[in-house]
Amino acid sequence: MEALRKKIPLTLPQNTVKIIRIIAALLLLALVIVRAIDVAAESQFGADTWLRLSVSGLIIGGMYALIAIGYTLVYGILFMINFAHGEVMMIGTFGGYFVFEAFNAIQVTAADGSQMSFLNANPVIAVFLAFLAGMTIAALSGYFLEKIAYRPLRGAPRLVPLISAIGASIFLQNAGQLLFGPQRRQYINPVVLDRGIGWHVELAGSTVVLTYTGIFSLVLSAILMVGLYVLVQRTKLGRAMRAVAQDKKTAALMGINVDQIISRTFVISGALAGAAGVMWGIHNGLFNYFVGFLPGIKAFTAAVLGGIGNIPGAMLGGMFLGIVESLGPAVLGIDFQLKDVIAFSILILVLIFRPSGILGEALSEEKV
Amino acid sequence: MKKSVLFFVFVVFAMVLASCGGAAPAGNTTSGDTTSGNTTSGDTTSGDTTSGDTASGEPEVCASDEFGCAVIPAGKTVKIGMGAPLTGDYASFGVDISQGAAIAVKDAGTVEGFAFELVAQDTQGAPEGGAAVANKLATDPTVVAIAGHIFSGSTEAAMPIYEKAGIPMMSPSATNPPLTTLGSKVFNRIAFTDAVQGQFAADYLYNKLGFRKIAVLHDGGAYGQGLADVVRQEFTALGGEVVGYEAVTPGETDYTATLSALAAKNPEAVYFGGYVAEGVVLTNNMKQSGLENAVFFGCDGTFGAEFVEKTGANGQGAYAASLIPPESEAKLKFDADYLAAYGVAAGTLSPYTWSGYDAAAVLMAKVKKVAVLGADGSLYIPRGVLVAAVRATNGFTSITGDVTCSEVGECNTAGPTFYVVDNGEWVQAEK
Repeated sequence: MEALRKKIPLTLPQNTVKIIRIIAALLLLALVIVRAIDVAAESQFGADTWLRLSVSGLIIGGMYALIAIGYTLVYGILFMINFAHGEVMMIGTFGGYFVFEAFNAIQVTAADGSQMSFLNANPVIAVFLAFLAGMTIAALSGYFLEKIAYRPLRGAPRLVPLISAIGASIFLQNAGQLLFGPQRRQYINPVVLDRGIGWHVELAGSTVVLTYTGIFSLVLSAILMVGLYVLVQRTKLGRAMRAVAQDKKTAALMGINVDQIISRTFVISGALAGAAGVMWGIHNGLFNYFVGFLPGIKAFTAAVLGGIGNIPGAMLGGMFLGIVESLGPAVLGIDFQLKDVIAFSILILVLIFRPSGILGEALSEEKV
Repeated sequence: MKKSVLFFVFVVFAMVLASCGGAAPAGNTTSGDTTSGNTTSGDTTSGDTTSGDTASGEPEVCASDEFGCAVIPAGKTVKIGMGAPLTGDYASFGVDISQGAAIAVKDAGTVEGFAFELVAQDTQGAPEGGAAVANKLATDPTVVAIAGHIFSGSTEAAMPIYEKAGIPMMSPSATNPPLTTLGSKVFNRIAFTDAVQGQFAADYLYNKLGFRKIAVLHDGGAYGQGLADVVRQEFTALGGEVVGYEAVTPGETDYTATLSALAAKNPEAVYFGGYVAEGVVLTNNMKQSGLENAVFFGCDGTFGAEFVEKTGANGQGAYAASLIPPESEAKLKFDADYLAAYGVAAGTLSPYTWSGYDAAAVLMAKVKKVAVLGADGSLYIPRGVLVAAVRATNGFTSITGDVTCSEVGECNTAGPTFYVVDNGEWVQAEK
């Protein structure tokens, strides 16, 4: 009897599971492709529409990517999801907003003698200072968030800081509502960066507007991402961060101040979220205390999609999510309201077929 | 690793669900909650208000009337009842509407030497409150008609009670469409329902603005989608083509993808059923999505100062509907009276005050028509005749326009007033 039981395996062998998975994945892929070809055959949309959708996806994707980096950096070092990260972005959005408001109120005499607000007279300085303010205040809130909500729980079971993170998120949202009110506010942009104006591209007999705000956001997020990559790969701080991510104890033995590195990681991710927040304000305009929630969730999805803990993965995941949200419904010929369904379906599929994410490597036992 | 990530994903979904539940936009329709319930319980409040001492002066019509007569002894007032939320969250609606009705009472003068009086009772906007107020008012023999109730739930609970007592109703603001399908003889309303608004909007788009291809968007809510469905149906029925019909997720700040896809179908106008928050985003996004030449056409949910403020130059030429009646002499007089009596401009508390005036005015005009002065000096009002007279209202002109009741009691034929944004201000669009 014993011998018999040993011979009949109770679970399918590892190989069979793998094969079934691959077959299922291929079937799904085939289904999607068939549907896409079917829709494409109807040629519902011209090249102009595709360009519009792609640009809109890239812009939103850039913002997701910046926020996703924050999730991934913190996860890489502390193995926890900082659920209050979206609220850090919200704080950054408010920071930039108040700078614009202040500059809009200051009247100066322009070179040609006419009266105009400081915002319109010196748009470059105004935008620079708005980003500086948004990023600084978001970085500070990231720093204090770690100090207050996470540091006392260092070494506690993993669920504890997670609950603390959710608590911090709710606290910050409500604090934002009490401080700034529940009403929606609108960014006052300098005239040169007005929403809705931009370069005109003639395509397929129609004019596609590439908005200045959108292209500006896209370029800036690309620059920030490259900057971050250089920081992590080429500088002393970056090396220390990678060392702490790899093994805290050994890093400490090598003379690295682990607590300080963790604090700086939160500062960096806060600054990136703050930049994304100001971009969100400049490009989309409307926001209130709740602005960080949805981008936060989406960016977390993007980080998992790209492979959490992996910085290029977060960038790729963010861009991918933005594009999929924008193009997915058009490719499959379904309602645009279902874009979140597509995004989260892809997340679930990635978790089933490639649990470590698109670029994520299999993590060592220690990191799990 | 895998397990923990799955757990996080689960947490995220839980948070998304939790947030969706709480984020329902605050409506500007007053169709309260329609829980109705069994609050009426059928304890009859006895319609035989005229029984008892069989007054010698009773005119003949009372004997033949289904519900008998309301008898107003000499020196008493003819009472117009109203069930309204006078306290609680929705107090501003009730207070405002009753103030409008009070001005109507002042304007109405007297009937055969008897003065009118408005008796507004507090329902707190709830069905239970509505039934309680109805029972109270129905037992008062001098209450002859009800200008109300205000919210749909409260109205529905009150209807059977007034039905038994033979007291006609004229609601200024109960907009829930099924109310007039319940077969009530006494219930009428001056409020325009979403169905009426949708019909007028489709007609305006097709006949007045001359559009043949429109796209219809909504926010997925009962109000927005209900409106959008009516517009789509009516516009198609008129011979137009609805080239796109989609929902947008409320609360987002970027709808360019949805609009770009619609732009490929070249609609001449985009109709939107929903609230101002999404309306603003859509209007702003249209300019960068290839819909810069299409007209944004909103509803009474997108009407208001916030729309103009947040859309700026993008809002130029956008339409919306409003139940604020068009400017007229009657409206100007009412506005002045209201300001003098209550110290605030009409319309600041709710958009229904003019309907409140009209509801009471229609009822009192009908009372004047059917009331008979008895030989004993009392005023006799045959209830059944009054119920029929109110339902038969035809061509009564008042602030909100022409009031003509259909056979089920829908009395607003004027429909909404359309407004268009011009240089950062809402101005009344051509009729």
